[in-house]
Amino acid sequence: MSRVLDAKGKDLRVVSTQLKEMIAADGKEATVKNASHLHGLCAGLKGGEITIEGDSGDYLGVLNDGALIRVAGNAGRYAADNMTHGTVLVDGDTDYGAAQYCYGGIVVVKGSAGDFTATMNKGATVIIGQDVGDEVGTYMLAGDLVIVGNAGRNLGNYLIRGNIYVGGQWASLGHNVKEETLTKADVDKLQGYLAKYAIKADPRAFRKLAPLSAKPFYK
Amino acid sequence: MPVVGAFCVTVHKDICINAQMPGKCATCVEVCPYEVYAIDGNGQVAVQNYNACVGCRICAEFCPENAIRINPAESEYLSRYPWTLGQVEEIHHKALTGGYLLRGFGTMGPMPHFDQIVVVPSQLAAEPPKDKYREECEMEVVIGEDTCEKPIRLQYPIIFPAMSFGALSREAKLALAIAAAKTGIAENTGEGGLVAEARHYCHGYIDKEETQKKWEPGGYLVVQWSTGRWGVSVDFVRAGDAVEVKIGQGAKPGMGGHLLGAKVTEEIAAVRGVPVGSDALSPCRYYDVLSFEDLKKQVAFLRDVTNYEKPIWIKLGPSRPYDDVRLAAEAGVDAISLDGIAGGTGASPDLVTQGVGIPTIACIPPAVRALKDLGLHRKVKLFALGGIRNGLDAVKALAMGADGVGFGTAAEIAMGCRACMACHKGNCPYGITSQKPELRARLDPEEAGQRLANFVKATVEEIKILTMLSGHSDIKDLSEEDLRAVDPETAAITGLKLIGYERRMPWWENGHDN
Repeated sequence: MSRVLDAKGKDLRVVSTQLKEMIAADGKEATVKNASHLHGLCAGLKGGEITIEGDSGDYLGVLNDGALIRVAGNAGRYAADNMTHGTVLVDGDTDYGAAQYCYGGIVVVKGSAGDFTATMNKGATVIIGQDVGDEVGTYMLAGDLVIVGNAGRNLGNYLIRGNIYVGGQWASLGHNVKEETLTKADVDKLQGYLAKYAIKADPRAFRKLAPLSAKPFYK
Repeated sequence: MPVVGAFCVTVHKDICINAQMPGKCATCVEVCPYEVYAIDGNGQVAVQNYNACVGCRICAEFCPENAIRINPAESEYLSRYPWTLGQVEEIHHKALTGGYLLRGFGTMGPMPHFDQIVVVPSQLAAEPPKDKYREECEMEVVIGEDTCEKPIRLQYPIIFPAMSFGALSREAKLALAIAAAKTGIAENTGEGGLVAEARHYCHGYIDKEETQKKWEPGGYLVVQWSTGRWGVSVDFVRAGDAVEVKIGQGAKPGMGGHLLGAKVTEEIAAVRGVPVGSDALSPCRYYDVLSFEDLKKQVAFLRDVTNYEKPIWIKLGPSRPYDDVRLAAEAGVDAISLDGIAGGTGASPDLVTQGVGIPTIACIPPAVRALKDLGLHRKVKLFALGGIRNGLDAVKALAMGADGVGFGTAAEIAMGCRACMACHKGNCPYGITSQKPELRARLDPEEAGQRLANFVKATVEEIKILTMLSGHSDIKDLSEEDLRAVDPETAAITGLKLIGYERRMPWWENGHDN
């Protein structure tokens, strides 16, 4: 059974220390409430299942390396920053720059995500249930970015590797990105993502973006 | 107006077609409009009038064997500045390719530097000199003593600053680690991830479990958190004895790291998470920092990830040293590296390396002032980087208020580098900045590590000599009073007393804006 840690009035060091002790001692599950003032909570965890009641602060789950982190509300800026393994699930929206610099793991945002989401993604699977802002997927080097709704300007700017799937419209595409035909393998993959995270959308209606060149800067 | 007689014309007879077969080629005679060359009745070409050469080099361009060299006969800065041959060639390069120049290494050419400062020895008017041969000199620098559970204790006021795996070969990174272990100082990963052995090598061990110590006394590994975040994971962050947050560097402040595709091998690509052969160009700023408050949050969570045990460091390029250092200190770090314009790089646009940023000697005084104003001087440790070559430069930086210095370019040279400035091409013949196996094989990590350790130890002795002849037995007692500027410009820049005048320049005496 998950124990509850009330973070109200506590600083990062205190809450982080207590949280790690709870995960180690109590079947790896913990719930944290009143944590929206804490930035960098759940940093560098290698396991455990943590639920954040309400909203989280910035840098939630930075350097996550195996934990399952669920936010019942909205997440602040830079959620799941530089994650390598594990899962971050946000029931609400994420602010600017979710899932940046990730090498792996899964980030699912049921609501909308802000500008520069999934920038420099190097291998994570990032699924956004609604719309995203501008400059999303900038300098992405690997991984999948799935946007169920609409995207803003300069989507996929300087895409190097990886795939971007968009269910809605985009305001504009960035440099070094092109539209490709969706394959059956793509549809199957999307179907799997959507089913697993209970997101209603038709995978065949998505469009796929891929890089023009793997070496766009210096010829 | 061309300067007559300003050029040396050299024809390499071994490859000149005419020299081998008179009459077969006289291209230089035909293309030269100034009659520098002449052809005789036997068809032999000779240089008949050196003084007529204006340096247009049309002969060199048309020579089918590339046998002709035209070089300035005297300093170009006297005869041709600002239109030196290098400048002319740069414009030609741009006109031909549409691309700007890239190169490795650091700023070249005249720039205010440590050479315009002298060390003042102790005689009657100061503490008597200490005996270098028979007395001790305290040199330890402790980072994070009051803030971290595991502070770093450098034996000497020296670090190897950030140089990435990718910019440097694996062998060079291991040599730096071995040297750090042998001298008790710190090596820095740079932003290219971690060479697997580097951590335990830095600590002096030859095995990952750190049970078999080979190199005494053992040193430290600083891991870098940077804008490209190449190879960065929680394990990487925790592998370090300190974490350095890179904001900028001297060779290209305002730009991120450049690792050109020629050096992105399978091994580098795997560590960095980029495609083989692609350019790994780090962002110029953190995508995940939008404000100073965000930077403070980063410092805070890096402390949390490292269990509040290890120092957090910031590296700055040469911009506005007072304000930048003040903000860095206010972000809550334990140490600050401040890199002057002469700092090195593996690759950078040439014009950025040459012309962006301010000299190292101009960075140190405002940085020290910022720390003093916050009451943090000697608590938050300041490391001066950028063109530090020897113990003399080091002592000058220390006396100006730095706690330590970094040897980056000098460390490469200690490993064997000859400063050809072509690090970015990946063909380093000494195996230091190349990723090609046949070139890397030329660099033995243990041998290069010993050379580096020798260099550090010799430099430490130089620091000891200079500190003690100034009347001190602890590097922390060095002060501006131990230095003099040799010209008004340097006195104006640094706030040091001017030789002869024996006072600071008036505006330093009367106070000034930061």
